[in-house]
Amino acid sequence: MFKNQLKIAWRSIKKQPFLNALNTLGLAIGIAGTLLISLYIDDELGYDKMFADADRIHRINSDMKFGGPDRQLSQVSAPMAAAMLNDISQVEGVLRFRPWGTTSLNKIDSKELVLEDNAAYADTTLVSMLGLNMRYGNPDKALEQPNSLILTKTAAEKHFDPSKAIGQKLILNEGETYTVTGVIEDLPQNSFLADYSVFMSMVGYQDALGNEWGSHNYNTFIKLKPNTSPEDIAMPLQGMVEDYLIPYAQQFFPGITLEQFEASGNYMRYSTIPLLDIHLWSNRETDMSRNSDINNIYILSFIALFLILLASINFMNLSTAYSLKRAKEVGIRKTLGSNKKSLIRQFLTESSLITFGSLAFGVITAFIVLPFFNELANKSISFPFTQPIFWGLLLIAGLLLAIISGGYPAFFMSRFMPARVLKGSGDANVGGSTLRSSLVVFQFAISVFLIVGTLVVGQQLRFIQNKDLGYSKDQVLLIHNMNRLGDNVHTLKDEVKQLAQVSNASMSGYLPTPSFRTDSSYFLEGKMNQESAVNMQGWPVDFDYMNTLGLKLITGRGFDPNITTDSTAMIVNEAAVAVMGFTPEEVLGKRISRGVDENNLNFFTVIGVVKDFHFESMRHVVRPLSLQIANSDANLIVKLKPGTFRNTIAQINALWNSYSPGIAFDYRFMDDSFNEVYQNEQRLGQIFIIFTALSIFIACLGLFGLAAFNAQKRIKEIGVRKVLGASVGQITYRLSFDFLKLVALSILIALPLGWFAMDRWLQDFTYRIHIGLGTFIIASVLAIAIALLTVSYQSIKAAIVSPVKSLRTE
Amino acid sequence: MLLELKNIFKWVHSGGQRIFLLKDINLSIEEGEFISVMGPSGSGKSTLLNIIGMLDQFDEGEYHFLDESVHALKEKHRTNLYKEYIGFVFQAYHLLDDLTVQENLEMPLLYKKYKGPERRAMVADMLDRFQIVGKKDLFPAQLSGGQQQLVGVARALISKPKLLLADEPTGNLNSKQGEEIMTLFKQLNTAGVTIIQVTHSEKNAEYGSRIINLLDGRML
Repeated sequence: MFKNQLKIAWRSIKKQPFLNALNTLGLAIGIAGTLLISLYIDDELGYDKMFADADRIHRINSDMKFGGPDRQLSQVSAPMAAAMLNDISQVEGVLRFRPWGTTSLNKIDSKELVLEDNAAYADTTLVSMLGLNMRYGNPDKALEQPNSLILTKTAAEKHFDPSKAIGQKLILNEGETYTVTGVIEDLPQNSFLADYSVFMSMVGYQDALGNEWGSHNYNTFIKLKPNTSPEDIAMPLQGMVEDYLIPYAQQFFPGITLEQFEASGNYMRYSTIPLLDIHLWSNRETDMSRNSDINNIYILSFIALFLILLASINFMNLSTAYSLKRAKEVGIRKTLGSNKKSLIRQFLTESSLITFGSLAFGVITAFIVLPFFNELANKSISFPFTQPIFWGLLLIAGLLLAIISGGYPAFFMSRFMPARVLKGSGDANVGGSTLRSSLVVFQFAISVFLIVGTLVVGQQLRFIQNKDLGYSKDQVLLIHNMNRLGDNVHTLKDEVKQLAQVSNASMSGYLPTPSFRTDSSYFLEGKMNQESAVNMQGWPVDFDYMNTLGLKLITGRGFDPNITTDSTAMIVNEAAVAVMGFTPEEVLGKRISRGVDENNLNFFTVIGVVKDFHFESMRHVVRPLSLQIANSDANLIVKLKPGTFRNTIAQINALWNSYSPGIAFDYRFMDDSFNEVYQNEQRLGQIFIIFTALSIFIACLGLFGLAAFNAQKRIKEIGVRKVLGASVGQITYRLSFDFLKLVALSILIALPLGWFAMDRWLQDFTYRIHIGLGTFIIASVLAIAIALLTVSYQSIKAAIVSPVKSLRTE
Repeated sequence: MLLELKNIFKWVHSGGQRIFLLKDINLSIEEGEFISVMGPSGSGKSTLLNIIGMLDQFDEGEYHFLDESVHALKEKHRTNLYKEYIGFVFQAYHLLDDLTVQENLEMPLLYKKYKGPERRAMVADMLDRFQIVGKKDLFPAQLSGGQQQLVGVARALISKPKLLLADEPTGNLNSKQGEEIMTLFKQLNTAGVTIIQVTHSEKNAEYGSRIINLLDGRML
């Protein structure tokens, strides 16, 4: 029986190649897209799960206001970890990281520096607490000694055979010598440590040992005892402020109490975030990894759902529409004694065949596309072929899809009355057209919604790219590792400045793109109390800095090498002026001190106010900042004249080599560095575009099929109208217009929803666009144009048919 | 003379052979004639009617309609010609199901770009003349076959054609309804409309002034 059903199902599928090709294509694309997004989401949700007892590990966050704006850090002060382990009984273990950025390593007998992008000082508990996979070395003792370090396997291979790495000496940043005491497996791509390859022992690191509660530089993780929730430690955690931070502050502000501290509008709040939540929920200034956003997961989930829904709707719509052709078959079967149930079974067999065929196509497509998708999404997702659960889920998904997509058409068709459908005139109205129309409206509403989303994301990205940043990032070359040159840095800078194609050059490790940052408290002369503290960036720069980066002065003057007192001069930004409560003119000449230590006051005199420039992502407001003349030689910033850069870069490279043989010349353009900050948004934008295009394509497949069906159904009407004098144009218009009405309705539904959703997305950005009327007009025109193109082919085809053919009665 | 067919041939290819649908048709029709075309199934009656109505093309011969040489005309001109001078009535009525009687009548006028008030006047005139004013807001499905064909004839006549082509206009009707339609045709003919009808019925053919017999594509 089943075999017979299968055979008949296969035959009837073959009989309608157009319909079934459309159905299969739509479903396969929908399945491939949904599958890719699901793998992506699975990967995102799986971050950091590989670590031992990951569900018991939490990170300490600090939210604070201490003069200046509110800050959300993922770091706390160095002594916090020990204090928690001592004072809070539920804490089983602690682990601190002090990220150290790009770090160079070289063997003692080699001058060749190997750069690692990310290194960090780490506590001895690193391997045991996270359960890292130690290849060589003692997991518990690896970081016990000062000047010891752990390398990942890849990092170790750059210097020696990993199996012989233990005990080898490496020079860190051309300074101290470290001993390799451990080699671990490379860290998984979907972990917060993915970018790290070197871990130095914190045992010998002075900064980590002190009682400095005022600076916050340590990413601190705790492991809770089993059956403890983070709420249990919330109280004692916040108690740290009163127990440690205030006593510490009293050294500088004798007698200050927690109440006074808070009364002045300042605060310090500690909180925890589960390790497993960090990747999607933590968006803090000093995260160790570039995190994603849970909103992206929501958005992608919706897109995946839309895709499969669109394809499923296509299936329903096309199957019911084309059921007209099957009506006679149903009639005959019924007169021959078939009951409704066996008809339903027959139709469901057919839809299952198509669904599983599409599923196979979809999975193969996804497999082929996966490498490109990985590149796009910056992932290394592999196809889970070996996991039974994957196949199980696929099977369930296929069955669900078959029932959802095929169920309605099966019930619909099995209801045909033999007496009516066998009359033979062929134009028996099969009905269901209202449902079909609503589904088309739904499909296009989704498409329009996604178009609006794509446009808004694109506009916001362009807005960020083109916004007046307050500095010029174009034609700016950043040369790294200048500090390696020792005393030669200034000579090199002067020589680079002499090059014909170079318009200016400056030296500083502090840049508007990701680089060093130093936050400190500053005090106005005469207001040396804690309430008036101004938390402000202090950037050491040279005399060429402002000109090289094109920073604009609002008032006052820039640094002048001919004025000797400028070594203690300061230029502040507008945000700093606002926090101090002055107008830009008033602040000129004011004296500001870093710190309040009576014995060691060093005052800066404000000589100018620089226009605010964006030195952080546009998700954040511009914070107070000051520029000071001081030596900082991590980067040479070179502003080039317009024209070709290649020769100039080669010239600079030659100069570099003459001073520092053996050290690689490492440079990049500032706008690349800038773009990296918005990489997540860029990727989201691209993913958005691709999947929007896919869903529109699927919706169009459906529309195309329906238009074909509609034209066929109305073939007589078209004939009559033509005989009565209608032109091809009028017929085409008439056939297309019916669909356009539906598309117009879906636009009306989708635009407000699109506005609402994207407005919420934009709230994440401090600097953002307003969604204008233009966006809606473009989205509408685009949807109508796409629908029109899809439909008009079928309409024109129907309109040029000779009426003699369509009106033949015999 | 209203129209003249000279040596008209029409054929199709089937299995490498030429099958003639019409062979050497010579026919001239004066204004005011009422012609019945008769013949068995497949004798080419409908094909002939379609060629006269300019809906179909022939392969050889000449066709003059009023002063125009139809065989030499471009598609667009032909369309304009039959739009202006010819009305069609079908066996299956071919009224549009979604439109009311009134709207069905109005449709040809829309395609001929009559203005709104003019259209309304012409539709009202037709409804009145065929005594179907009371049915103007009904849909075709709510009418009997005879009434539907009445509307079909009214629709064919509304733009005042010189020639009315009817392909078995009573084929789907009972005898009483058929008689009424034939009587109507007779009246129309008397009023000056030239009519060519295809029919199987000897009785209906008698209403005409001339009978043309076809067999295997030839005029007898």
